[in-house]
Amino acid sequence: MKPGRLLVWGGLLALAWLARGLALPVFLAAALAYLLSPVVAWADALAIRRSVTVGALFAVIIAVMAAAGFLLGPGMISEAGALMDRMPGLARQIDVGLDAAVRELAEAAPAVRRLLPEGGEWVQRFVLDRGPGEPGDLFEHVGHLFLLVILVPFFAFFLLRDMHRLIAVAMDRLPPQHVETSVAVWRELNGVIGRYIRGLVLDGLVVGALAAVGLWAARVPYPLLLGAFAGLANVVPFVGPLLSAAAAGLVVLLTPGQGLAGVGRVALLFVVVKVLDDTIIQPFTIGRSVHLHPALLLGSVVVGSHALGVLGMIIAVPVATVLQETVRLLLEHRRVLARRDLRQRQERLVL
Amino acid sequence: MFERPLPGWLAWATDPEQLRRAPFLARSPLFVGLPRRLLGRLATRFFEKVYHPGEVIFEEGDPGRALFVVVEGAVEITRATAQGAYILNTLGPGDAFGELALIDDFPRSATARIVTMPGRLLILYKSDFDALMDGNPRIALVVMRNLSRLLAIYARRTPVLATESGRGPETAGPS
Repeated sequence: MKPGRLLVWGGLLALAWLARGLALPVFLAAALAYLLSPVVAWADALAIRRSVTVGALFAVIIAVMAAAGFLLGPGMISEAGALMDRMPGLARQIDVGLDAAVRELAEAAPAVRRLLPEGGEWVQRFVLDRGPGEPGDLFEHVGHLFLLVILVPFFAFFLLRDMHRLIAVAMDRLPPQHVETSVAVWRELNGVIGRYIRGLVLDGLVVGALAAVGLWAARVPYPLLLGAFAGLANVVPFVGPLLSAAAAGLVVLLTPGQGLAGVGRVALLFVVVKVLDDTIIQPFTIGRSVHLHPALLLGSVVVGSHALGVLGMIIAVPVATVLQETVRLLLEHRRVLARRDLRQRQERLVL
Repeated sequence: MFERPLPGWLAWATDPEQLRRAPFLARSPLFVGLPRRLLGRLATRFFEKVYHPGEVIFEEGDPGRALFVVVEGAVEITRATAQGAYILNTLGPGDAFGELALIDDFPRSATARIVTMPGRLLILYKSDFDALMDGNPRIALVVMRNLSRLLAIYARRTPVLATESGRGPETAGPS
């Protein structure tokens, strides 16, 4: 490689490293752009200028979000406030239960006592440790959130408006012999990622709504909050549904008058939601976009979790699907070229 | 929409590129007869690329994954023979080539090359076309009918194609 080109690549890598903090906003912006792209494509077909479409789209989204905030916001805020107020009491209740269980365990099997952590009030300490300790921490958390709220729509706006121009520039720089395969790979990946993200969001919305209605029917406190959490957690394969069921079960356990029967009802509700999700909702939402073997799916989630934590678990499935599709297309390309070369060699031999 | 000029006060909201592309496709023999709404949707699926004179777009035996429509310039379709490259056809603006890639997965049967001046081509990837057909059987019906007509024209023009397939130089058909 020429020294100049090496320098440029080095500079780009250094720039990417410095801007790594923007990875999450850019990822979320790309997801938002994929979510909205069918509307932009529809407007493109009507020969409406991209900037007009995207501007109008964002105005509508802001209006819808404001309306949703007006309608659902007070309920969710009051539920969250009530939960936060009850948090110290709940933590105390859990600690009492845990202490009793540990004592019982230690009496039954003294050898296990050494394996258990010293002291008590584990949950209370956990809750206190997680809270923002200094006012500066609080400002930092709010600042990050505010930056995300500003940056995600900002990047999504420009991705939706200018992505086709960037692709056109890239296409013009491609050597002619690579155009068809590059277009093939790009279109396949674009389709897979777009369908997956749109399916995932739709799936999360349906699962969240089902869980909220079910929890409300089962008289579980905070149905809106727990339903929203179930919808959000649903984007994390395997672990998400377990987490949301555990959260709802914990809330039921700590609610007077619900008892173990309530936990059983919630467990049954989440099993029913999961079965409905796997058999009816997912085949309609993301089923057509992902063709991964179950073992590969599980493996990709484990690798993603080790590499990038929760974000890695969320992006594991589309990344694995994209890699699988790319490898399939490139292998197919290589196979056809090999067949052509073989035929040419045979023709030369005949001549 | 693109055939009827918008009122002056809405002109600022229209995309000139899309306004130009859809009527252009409407005049292409492969897409003639498609309603305006479907042409608009089809037009958004195309990529555009400029090729330099002499550049090879694809070679005989390459994997065929896309259809090309000539916007500007001229494209020469050739096939290799023992005596050298034989020119099957020279295409101009509005003509489409590589259309068989929309039907089957066979390798390209000829080589396409830009001649003389720089050429601007629209490229439609097979999966995009398939996705469009899944939602709009009308597109499939019209395009396949047009394609059958084109194949019939090629076959009548060169009767040897129907009787002695694979002779090469005598044939002049889609790639």
